[in-house]
Amino acid sequence: MVSQPSNTRRRLRFAGVAAVAVLAVVSLVATACSKSSSSGSSGGTVKAAWIYVGPVNDGGWTQAHDAGRKYVETKLGSKVKTTYKENVPEGPEVAQVINDLIKDGNTVIFATSYGFKDAMQAAATANPKVKFEMATGDSITLGQKVASNYNEFYGAGEDSLYITGIAAGKATKNNSIGVSAPFAIPEVIRGINAFTLGAQSVNPAAKVNVVWTKTWFDPAVERKSAESLVAAGADVIFSHQDSPSAGEVAKAKNLPWFGYDSDQSGPYSSVWQTAGTYNWGPFELSELNKVIDGTWKQNNYYGTIADNFAGLAPYGSTVAAATKTLMDAEITKAKAGKADAFGWYWGLADRQDQDGKTVITKGQTLTMKDLYTMSYFVKGTTGSPKG
Amino acid sequence: MSRFGFRLEPRSNLPKWLPWAVPVGSFLAALLVGAIVLFATGQNALSVYGRILDRAFLSEGAFTGTLISATPLLFTGLCAAVAFRIGFFNIGGEGQFVMGAIFGSGIALKLGADAPGILSVSAMVIFGAIGGGLWGLIPGILKAKFRTNEIITSLMLNYVAIVIATYLIFDSNSFWRELTGSGVVFPKGKILPTGSWWPNLDFGSIIVPFGFVLGMVIAGWLYVLQRKTRFGFEMRVVGGAPTTARYAGMKPARIVVAVAALSGALAGLGGAADIGNFRHVLDPKGLQQSGFGYAGIVVAALARLNPVAVVFVAVLLGGITNAGYALRGPDFPSGLVGVLQGLILFCTLGGEVLARYRITRSGRTPVGASVLEAS
Repeated sequence: MVSQPSNTRRRLRFAGVAAVAVLAVVSLVATACSKSSSSGSSGGTVKAAWIYVGPVNDGGWTQAHDAGRKYVETKLGSKVKTTYKENVPEGPEVAQVINDLIKDGNTVIFATSYGFKDAMQAAATANPKVKFEMATGDSITLGQKVASNYNEFYGAGEDSLYITGIAAGKATKNNSIGVSAPFAIPEVIRGINAFTLGAQSVNPAAKVNVVWTKTWFDPAVERKSAESLVAAGADVIFSHQDSPSAGEVAKAKNLPWFGYDSDQSGPYSSVWQTAGTYNWGPFELSELNKVIDGTWKQNNYYGTIADNFAGLAPYGSTVAAATKTLMDAEITKAKAGKADAFGWYWGLADRQDQDGKTVITKGQTLTMKDLYTMSYFVKGTTGSPKG
Repeated sequence: MSRFGFRLEPRSNLPKWLPWAVPVGSFLAALLVGAIVLFATGQNALSVYGRILDRAFLSEGAFTGTLISATPLLFTGLCAAVAFRIGFFNIGGEGQFVMGAIFGSGIALKLGADAPGILSVSAMVIFGAIGGGLWGLIPGILKAKFRTNEIITSLMLNYVAIVIATYLIFDSNSFWRELTGSGVVFPKGKILPTGSWWPNLDFGSIIVPFGFVLGMVIAGWLYVLQRKTRFGFEMRVVGGAPTTARYAGMKPARIVVAVAALSGALAGLGGAADIGNFRHVLDPKGLQQSGFGYAGIVVAALARLNPVAVVFVAVLLGGITNAGYALRGPDFPSGLVGVLQGLILFCTLGGEVLARYRITRSGRTPVGASVLEAS
């Protein structure tokens, strides 16, 4: 009986409150909007942005890239204002992310995953005043047409892996080295070839057994593949993906272990050997300096150990002193700059592929295109280079 | 049920304003809770919300970006809405989307660069729907014939679909894979011939993808199908009361199979639209990362399984997704974007419950007592 009028009153009160709340939110948002859209000229500061495929704390690829961003920030101080977008999917979303970054006034954009390449090239054509830096891109090397404000950069990870291979060749007792590898693509294949050649340079009997995980990051799969390598007789493990889970297997079996991308020794110091690493910061710093000076030009950069782009993670405590000396000697050779930019070791002898066909002759220097299209495994490797 | 001292009771008569006030109120509540979270993490809630509004809808090109994010969600939303309406819980939108992408891109590549655009695009629409439809048919038939739980089967088929797509690009020299140029350096799909790229309707400041228009038309058609046709009536009966349906001489199994195929076809169309309109290449990694199929379930739930409402919810969620990229940065981890998006969904879905049920203290009202008396 009583409920009828009170319901109506309650209804009215609700409507009133709702209306006020809506008005309040709308007006507040509107004022905030007008404030936030007034970004633009930044007075002598270069605004640079990084686009990452993973989270900044992935412990591998993206983290190394973010270290580069922080390096640039430390070195340039107030001359640069950096930002990043993490976890960006490789798809139509990238174009939107790039547009957002340009709207925010960024004039240099670094993209750090291969799948961002097409969107970067399209954006470069549409935004001639912005510089686009594509890590791991290959279009310029392959002679495809790109805008002049678009650049690609990467580095000789394989050179680090050649030196890493020396340690593996020395560490193996039964001459069986297991490699857990992500994808059968030239980047990975040339790295494994360099690793194998490094191992064979100190231990001609060394054999390298490759299994593919078809993932860059999947700790469970990586662990399984390491286990299968051990089961197949490997007494040294090299894992080419981002996670250190193969290290767990190595630790349990007390076998020497090589990681990738960064120093992953952490809890696995008892078996840790070393890893090939990339040092993105110095290159990105020099690019930004050129942007500030107005001397920036497309340069299709391929970094090496000589210019500190490629490197090695700290050696583990179980690496023998004699092995360290051998590795350091190669690093010195590479750093002296005498070393060919595309690997001083490829043409040290005639090189055969798995079928015994000669693929590199003694004294031959490889071109960047040779590296970017390498699709064979050198002799002494088991596993298919087709994946 | 009354262990916690509270009980949910269905509301007997819903006031007219309630269905509208609840989503709005829930949305505001989400903004409020979000503001607290933002404040706690040292953000200025107002500028964050302003930026969302700006980058999702207001600034130049923002709405276009929002429609790009909304288009796949529109299709996967319709996919879930249609199936859930009859109580067929198709969680397989993800896999059906991928199969649509595989079929759609396949036919576009097959027809090649010389085919007229209208032929390529229509063929992609049809093949996308067939690809997704066949994939949706599997859990449908399993359910109808063997009473297999469709949640499990459709979910498992998602993994199978993505493995197939990965196989086509990464593990084989398939018809879809680019084997020349940069395809030698990194496994990738062939770019579709430009003639088969779906058109965009250019309204000056806003560019509307053809896929979105197609989705809107289909949403309208589904609305009519569900409300005005015999099939739609049967769908509603099967969804609401399967036993009644059987008594009434309907064939629930047949309807389940038909709706499963329809639902899959809608997701498949989304896959074709995604590739035809935006991606222009079969990219398993990108498809897997996007997770449109799962997001579609949320779209459908927020739209209360109403196909027309799906359009609006897709745009809203597309806008939030789109603005999410603008928010991310050194001071704004992508996880916080997820928290905000999650809060909005949580509050809106929670509000739905409150709209349909009322919370009463247990013990005060015996079950079945008149609701009026209790108030």
